[in-house]
Amino acid sequence: MKGRLLVILLLACGAAAAADRDFDRLVKAIESHYGTRHTNLPLMGFANFVVKVARPAGTSSFHLAMFDHLDTPSEERDEFMDQMGSGSLHPLIRVHSNRDREATYILAGDVGKTTRMLIAIFGRDAATVIEVKVNAEALRKTIERPDLTAQRFLGKHDDH
Amino acid sequence: MRLATILIAAWAATAWGQTIKLPDSVERLGAKAEEKVEITMDKAMLRLAGKFLSDKGDEAKARKTINGLESIYVRSFTFARDGEYATADVDAVRAQFQTAAWSRIIGMRSKEEGNVDVFLKGGTTGQLGGAVVIAAGPRELTIVQINGTLDPDQLADLGGQFHIPHLAMGEGARR
Repeated sequence: MKGRLLVILLLACGAAAAADRDFDRLVKAIESHYGTRHTNLPLMGFANFVVKVARPAGTSSFHLAMFDHLDTPSEERDEFMDQMGSGSLHPLIRVHSNRDREATYILAGDVGKTTRMLIAIFGRDAATVIEVKVNAEALRKTIERPDLTAQRFLGKHDDH
Repeated sequence: MRLATILIAAWAATAWGQTIKLPDSVERLGAKAEEKVEITMDKAMLRLAGKFLSDKGDEAKARKTINGLESIYVRSFTFARDGEYATADVDAVRAQFQTAAWSRIIGMRSKEEGNVDVFLKGGTTGQLGGAVVIAAGPRELTIVQINGTLDPDQLADLGGQFHIPHLAMGEGARR
């Protein structure tokens, strides 16, 4: 019984570690490629509050990194994300909005009963990396309207 | 180790943009489009998405259908105004599927709603080996490629799922 519990614990730790690796890898790649640092959030409580407000239904386990004053030429974002590979995640959706000068990249993977999504949103002069677990409904909404992903996860669109 | 690196690099280079090869003229539409959406669902992602479809109604049908699929690839362009792309751009895409391996089963032309073409690829034992849907509206161009085994009757069941346009296929068209 103890052995089984240990295996479950190790598997859970392994899944969590893989999740952290994908998120950290992307954050570090942006820092390295664009010569910047993600915004440290001394007001993490405030950030959590913001994320909580923006968090769409059916999502949990948020990881968030924000980059300000980040000028990413739109034509090289694809190349950058292509070079990223995906670790344990699969490239799923790529959205380019010339209207908003935004690009959204979504990678996804299976974690038991939920799906893990790694989302990179590049705006005019900022970028946000989000890692989040989503349930079936949230995954479906993302696939059906991928163009609304940035709005949903950055709190501009209410789909609750 | 070196082999692994090469394989990972090759995978990374192709993962986002694999499958359908669009003519350069269509690729360039991305710069004109107000919005461009690309969805790449490989087998693993399809299994994942399938798990989340319910056992009732249309979702149950879609779930059954995606079991035989290898990948779904969607590319959709939305334009701010009518006439941002030329008929020749779409014709160039259609031309890729006007070969012996493919049959066009639907060719709908509508000034208001746009044009829809559905091409099917023959498979084994009465099954299809793939399908391509090209929906060209006044302000939207959507190209869907479905790879894998599916029954002709199942194609319409995928309409409305995974960003695929609704396919109102009548009984006659299905056969």
